[in-house]
Amino acid sequence: MEFLLPDVGEGLTEAEILTWSVKVGDTVAINDTLVEIETAKSVVELPSPAAGVIAAIHADEGSTVDVGTVIVSILEADAEPIAAEPVPDTPSPEAAPAEPAEPAKQPLVLVGTGPTRAADRRLRLKPRDRRAVPVGGNEPSISAAPPIRLLAKRLGVDLSSVRTRPGSRITREDVEAAATGAPLSEVAGRETRIPIKGVRKVSAAAVTSSAFTAPHVTEWLTVDVTRTMEMVGRLKADRAWAGVRITPLVFVARAFLLAARRFPDINATWDEDAQEIVLKHYVNLGIAAATPRGLMVPNIKDAHEMDLRTLADSLGDLVQTARDGKTPPRDMSGGTLTITNIGALGVDAGTPILNPGESAILAFGAVRAMPWVVEGEIVPRKVTQLAMSFDHRLVDGELGSNVLAEVGRLLGDPGETFLHV
Amino acid sequence: MTTFTLGSAITEGLRKAMEADDRVIVMGEDVGALGGVFRVTDGLQKDFGDSRVVDTPLAESGIIGTAIGLALRGYRPVCEIQFDGFVYPAFDQIVSQLAKIRSRSAGSLSVPLVIRIPVGGGIGAVEHHSESNEAYFAHTAGLRVVSCSNPNDAFHMIQQAVLSDDPVVFYEPKRRYWDRGEVSPVADRQLHQAAILKEGSDCVLVAHGPTVATALAASVAAEEDGYSVGVVDLRSISPLDTETLRAVAARSGRMVVVHEASTFMGIGAEIAAEITESCFFELEAPVLRVGAYNLPYPPASVEDAFLPDVDRVLHAVERSLSFSEER
Amino acid sequence: MSETHRSNLEKWLPNETDREGQPMFQMLAPDGSLTTAGKSIGVDSDLVRGLYRDMVLARRFDREALSLQRQGELSLWLMSWGQEAAQVGSIRALRDSDMVFPSYREHAAALCRGVRPADLMRQWRGLAHSGWNPADHRFHIYSLVLGTQTLHATGYATGAVLEGSDEVVATYFGDGAASQGDVNEAFNWAAAGRLPVLFFCQNNQWAISTPTSTQMQTPLHVRAAGFGLEPYHVDGNDVLAVHTITGLAASRIRDGGGPAMIEAQTYRFGGHSSSDDPKRYRSEEEFDLWTARDPLARVEVFLRTSVVDDSFFAGLELEADELAVSTREACKQLTGQTLAEIFGNVYAEPHPLIERERTANAAFTALVGGDL
Repeated sequence: MEFLLPDVGEGLTEAEILTWSVKVGDTVAINDTLVEIETAKSVVELPSPAAGVIAAIHADEGSTVDVGTVIVSILEADAEPIAAEPVPDTPSPEAAPAEPAEPAKQPLVLVGTGPTRAADRRLRLKPRDRRAVPVGGNEPSISAAPPIRLLAKRLGVDLSSVRTRPGSRITREDVEAAATGAPLSEVAGRETRIPIKGVRKVSAAAVTSSAFTAPHVTEWLTVDVTRTMEMVGRLKADRAWAGVRITPLVFVARAFLLAARRFPDINATWDEDAQEIVLKHYVNLGIAAATPRGLMVPNIKDAHEMDLRTLADSLGDLVQTARDGKTPPRDMSGGTLTITNIGALGVDAGTPILNPGESAILAFGAVRAMPWVVEGEIVPRKVTQLAMSFDHRLVDGELGSNVLAEVGRLLGDPGETFLHV
Repeated sequence: MTTFTLGSAITEGLRKAMEADDRVIVMGEDVGALGGVFRVTDGLQKDFGDSRVVDTPLAESGIIGTAIGLALRGYRPVCEIQFDGFVYPAFDQIVSQLAKIRSRSAGSLSVPLVIRIPVGGGIGAVEHHSESNEAYFAHTAGLRVVSCSNPNDAFHMIQQAVLSDDPVVFYEPKRRYWDRGEVSPVADRQLHQAAILKEGSDCVLVAHGPTVATALAASVAAEEDGYSVGVVDLRSISPLDTETLRAVAARSGRMVVVHEASTFMGIGAEIAAEITESCFFELEAPVLRVGAYNLPYPPASVEDAFLPDVDRVLHAVERSLSFSEER
Repeated sequence: MSETHRSNLEKWLPNETDREGQPMFQMLAPDGSLTTAGKSIGVDSDLVRGLYRDMVLARRFDREALSLQRQGELSLWLMSWGQEAAQVGSIRALRDSDMVFPSYREHAAALCRGVRPADLMRQWRGLAHSGWNPADHRFHIYSLVLGTQTLHATGYATGAVLEGSDEVVATYFGDGAASQGDVNEAFNWAAAGRLPVLFFCQNNQWAISTPTSTQMQTPLHVRAAGFGLEPYHVDGNDVLAVHTITGLAASRIRDGGGPAMIEAQTYRFGGHSSSDDPKRYRSEEEFDLWTARDPLARVEVFLRTSVVDDSFFAGLELEADELAVSTREACKQLTGQTLAEIFGNVYAEPHPLIERERTANAAFTALVGGDL
């Protein structure tokens, strides 16, 4: 066994080796004195914890040794117990007599010894690029209440770029205005005040409510969609599909629906009042549309039942109706999953905010020709980024990841299933 | 620069204070021939005699009560309480007598008295030898409460404490007594000023005494993960250096207070309240606290799980960084 | 104990003097011979054998525990070495039903009350703050804050009076603790209420590095008399004298005579604890002086010259060896509670903060087991 220098006083960290009472090759019994040490508190003799032969001495006399360091190795005797020696009349504890040997099979455990050695770290902080809400350096000159800071992060607004009245704090309205790109015209004076109403008011309330109700997690996936783009091209050229508005968005919608079919739990609602989770067996697929009146999210009823052609037709109608400002109210409610086609605005990715009451939203970024590694070769491919936010109360990381991966897999390799129900 | 352990830095600080003023008297249990159970007064009785380094009867209330009497006559007693858990017999003398004499006398009487207390756990001790009771005294108006974390501070802060005309409770972090460090000949700040040990743009850790080293280690770990996490050593608990705390909180927007005491009604709660009020519009997340659980100090075998360590601090930092994602 | 027997004993008190010339009671001189009082009062040889056995086993246990500390198996040990006669003599003179409030060095007394070696070491291995259920042994858990237990004993005795019980409540403390306010409050309280408390001071001459002379000017038994306690002063290294005096005091208390205080002169052969170095503050000469008054040696001489043969000692030594081996074995097998379990011990009734922290601790423990 290896004998570690114990803490012989409350919290000592080291001791000086004064005198060894044994040398290599000596036979020792349990409690035979091995060595005399001096600590900050006292001079003490250390008794042997085992019976056997001294195999090695690891600390020289005069050296200072940290608590927990191996100071001597003892080759343990498996022999018969050694007969006890007579007890002296006035024994000293340092000169304890030998007694029956008891093989110690394990190295000594130092119990509660000395100042706690800092344990190695086990936790790691989540990398910046994997955070749903980015961590940026703080700008102490920016004065905004915590909820406003949160809102800015959710909406991707850089607070340092938000214009507000000099000396005043940034308000919710300032951030929302910055998010919608509303002009802060200087034509009439230094500011223009635009009443908050209509679609902007509704959508602002919706995103704010969602942002503060559902704990959002966003996941990202970069996908090679070359084959999807090829299929889009093929169908567009196919006479059988003439008149159908085939776009990459239709394929993304189709892939999302198929993924939801494979992982139906993604399609759910958190009913706070009833304290129930409502699993939906249908999909009303929302499509976020930028309209002159603001952001609108009409949905395609029962999209789960549609084949690619029907889906493409419905999607075309939906967007056109929205742009014409003719979306009926019923198409604005009851959505279950949503897609936002931010790629149409020329950007790659974002952290979409859930449509209130829904469990997932998929952002579809711009499709770009990018260098891509295929079988060890860099080749140009059509690549896009998908970002999916989900309500973490309903969807755990595994489920969310499965859905997003499935969408990516289908878009990477769209097969015949794409075309049919 | 000379290198000292934290314990021997206090010894040297006391020696300087005793050389500078012959009315400084060191008193306590076993402070004489033995030099105190942690050897902090080692050699002082030999050098200054047994009327200035006094082995007292074993009675903490007596130590503080008689020291008050000495102070009223113009002496400057430095009392050693052997362990944190043994201060309670003196509680009445400290909070009802010592703390109040100045205000009771309408400001005419001063009681310049230092109470040295080895504090905190992490040394594998039996019960009553590992407690962190600074909040009791910080809660008492009339007392100053300070906490050193390294040899240099220990050397200067003990001398500054002796010079104070108010009573000072002086905490010494037991498990850091043997830490070595350089001691400069001149103090670099006032007794009640906090020290910014490291700036951080993402978050700042506030610690005192034994947890300063823990906070520094956590800061290094966070750096490995790509985050800039600062460290402030409070040094003074009462009064708090709110000016420094506000400045660092505003700069980083996130603050985590780390101490060994239980968080409930503790120093961290006070700092959180103070910073929330004064820096509300600069904060990215609420001020979080890392401390011991609200249990009596447990047996040594589980103290590592009880005391805040690097992982507990990192966990709080992560919560702070991701607070906007939590609901 | 009869009134007659009691007055017969009392006429011998005190018969010797201690080192400061204070009169004290002794039956067996350090050289192993009976004093005149010892001869006159008489000695029960079975009792002597039993007391000697208790002392030998206690010393052997104590020494093994110190070795275990030196080997890193215990985080701290407070030796009872040298105080065996004071503890064994007193506890064996009480009824097993008499409640005892010890300080923290009363290992010999605890063993006599059936506390197992493992349970005595549990606290010092850093696994718990106490080692046994007091109800099992009528022996309270150790008190590490000095003197506090004397008030607990006084309150416990109040209950005995209220119930009309003839119990004696005994409490052990040291010369150092006698400087604490609590001890003096307990003296006064018990005397004022004529409560059935037996205060037993093991004056081992040292409170860590502070000698008794620094703690007090008046001997403690004299101080106790001033409070109104019946005072006794005894050679604490003479197990027979301690046993006799304790029996006498307990009998008097049990008969409604009011509280008593026994000051037993003994010596702490070891340091205050395993981490103390007594060489820093006391002389070799003093150690040698007290070694000559060893509590075991004098009984051994007495037994060898008068009562028993070698086989008694051989058998006892074998028993001590077995105790040492089982002590070592038991020490290594001790385990303590987890932090999670400790959350359940703080309050008798549910407490929301504790529950919240218990949950947080469990979540954190799970977290560091896995990935953040």
